Amino acid sequence: MGRYTWDFSVITANWDPLMAGLAVTLQLTAICAVIGLIGGFLVCQMVMSRIAPLRWVAIGFIELFRCTPALVQIIWIFYCVPYFFGVFFDPFYMAILALGMNITAFNAEAYRAAIQSIPASHYDACTALGLSPLKKTLFVILPQAVLMAIPVLLTNTIGLLQQTSLVAIVAIADLMYEGKTLATQTYRPIEIYTTVAFIYFALSVPLSQAVGLFERRLRSRLA
Amino acid sequence: MNISAALDFLWDYRLALSIGLGNTLYFTAFGLAFGLAIGFLVSVVRQAGHPVLKVIATTYVEIFRGTPVLIQLFWFFFCLPALLGMELGNVFSTVLTLSLYMGAISSESFRAALKSIGTEQRDACIALGLPARVSVPYVMLPQTVLRAVPTLLSNCVTLFKESALVSAVGMADLMYQGQMIADATARPIEILTATALIYFIIAFSVTRIVSFYERGYLARMRL
Repeated sequence: MGRYTWDFSVITANWDPLMAGLAVTLQLTAICAVIGLIGGFLVCQMVMSRIAPLRWVAIGFIELFRCTPALVQIIWIFYCVPYFFGVFFDPFYMAILALGMNITAFNAEAYRAAIQSIPASHYDACTALGLSPLKKTLFVILPQAVLMAIPVLLTNTIGLLQQTSLVAIVAIADLMYEGKTLATQTYRPIEIYTTVAFIYFALSVPLSQAVGLFERRLRSRLA
Repeated sequence: MNISAALDFLWDYRLALSIGLGNTLYFTAFGLAFGLAIGFLVSVVRQAGHPVLKVIATTYVEIFRGTPVLIQLFWFFFCLPALLGMELGNVFSTVLTLSLYMGAISSESFRAALKSIGTEQRDACIALGLPARVSVPYVMLPQTVLRAVPTLLSNCVTLFKESALVSAVGMADLMYQGQMIADATARPIEILTATALIYFIIAFSVTRIVSFYERGYLARMRL
C-alpha cells in the first residue's frame, strides 16, 4: 500500500464550481425526467395504437434508443443533427434532446408493462359505461398505469441522473465536467472524484429508497 | 448524401472499426464473466450471510448502482493506482470497473431470482441435511440461473452499452475508433451512424433472444 495523504481542503476551496456543476446536473435530470414521463406515455400509446404505421414508428424509436449506448446517441445528435437539419441549438438543449429521447424510450416500455397488467374487465367496463376513448385513456388507464409503473419510472430516473454525467464528454459544465476540470487543475483527482461520486450517490440513495417504499406499498395495496 | 460513396468510405475503415469492435467485445466478455461470478456470490451473501458480510455486500451494490459508470471508470483509472502507489494497467482497470459494475447490477437479478425460489426448497435442503457447500451449487444455483436468465441477458446488454464509456478514458473500443475516424476524416455522419448501427445490431439481437426465451422456454416451464 502506498501512503497517500488525503487533503479535502481542495473541495472546500473549489466548492462554488462543484455546486454550479451540480445545478446543471439537477436541471438536466429534472427537465428530462418530465419529458420522459409525458413522452413515454405518448409513445406507449402509439405502440398500442390500432394504426399500424404509428406502431412501427414508435417501436422503431424505442428499439433504437434502447439498443444503442447513450454515449453514442449524445455524440450522434451533437454531430449529425446540425448537419441534417441545419440548426445548431445551444449544447444544453442538444443534451436535453438526446437524454430526453433516451428516457422516453425506456419509460414507454415501463408504461407498456404497467398497462398490460390492467385487467381486461376495466376495458369492458369502460365500453359498458360508454366512455369515449379519450376519457377512457385519461381517467381509467393513465392513473392506473402511472401507479403501477412508478417503481420502474423511478428506477429509470435514477438511471437518467447517472446518464447525465455523459454530457461532460461533450463539454457541458455539469458536475462530472467540473470534477474532471478541477482534478486536472489541482492534481487532486482522488479527493475530487471521490467527492463527485459521493454527491451522485447521495442523490441516488433517497430515490432508490423511494422505489423500495413504493414497491412495498403497491404490493400490500394489490394483495 | 450518396449511399454507395458512404459505403465505400466505410469499407476503407473496416479494419479500424473491427479492431474497435473486437476490443468492445473483449472488455464486455471479461466484465461479463467476472461480473456474473461476483453477482452470484454477492446475492448469496446478501440472502444468507454473516450480518457484517451482508452490510458490506449491500454497501458495495448500492455504491456501484448509485454512481455513474463514468465516475467509476475515472476513479479506477486515476485514483486507485495513486492510492495503491502502483501502476494497474489500462486493460486491468477497465475490466475491473466493468466487472464490479456488472457484479452490482447482476446481483440484484440473482437476488430477485433467489427470492422467487420457494422456502420449501431451503427447508428440504435442511431436512436432507445438505450443507451449504452442497445446497448452494446443486439446488440454489441451477434454479436461480434459470429464472434469472432473462434479466441477466438484459444486464449483459446494459454492460455492452456501458462499455462504450471506456472510450472516455482512451481505451480503443468501437466508440473510440468511430470518434477518431470521424475527427480525422471530418465525416462524422457516415462513421457515427455505422458505429451506432453496429451497437444496435448486436444489442437488438440479444434482446430478441431474451423475449424468445421468456415466451418459449419459461412459459413452458411455468417458472
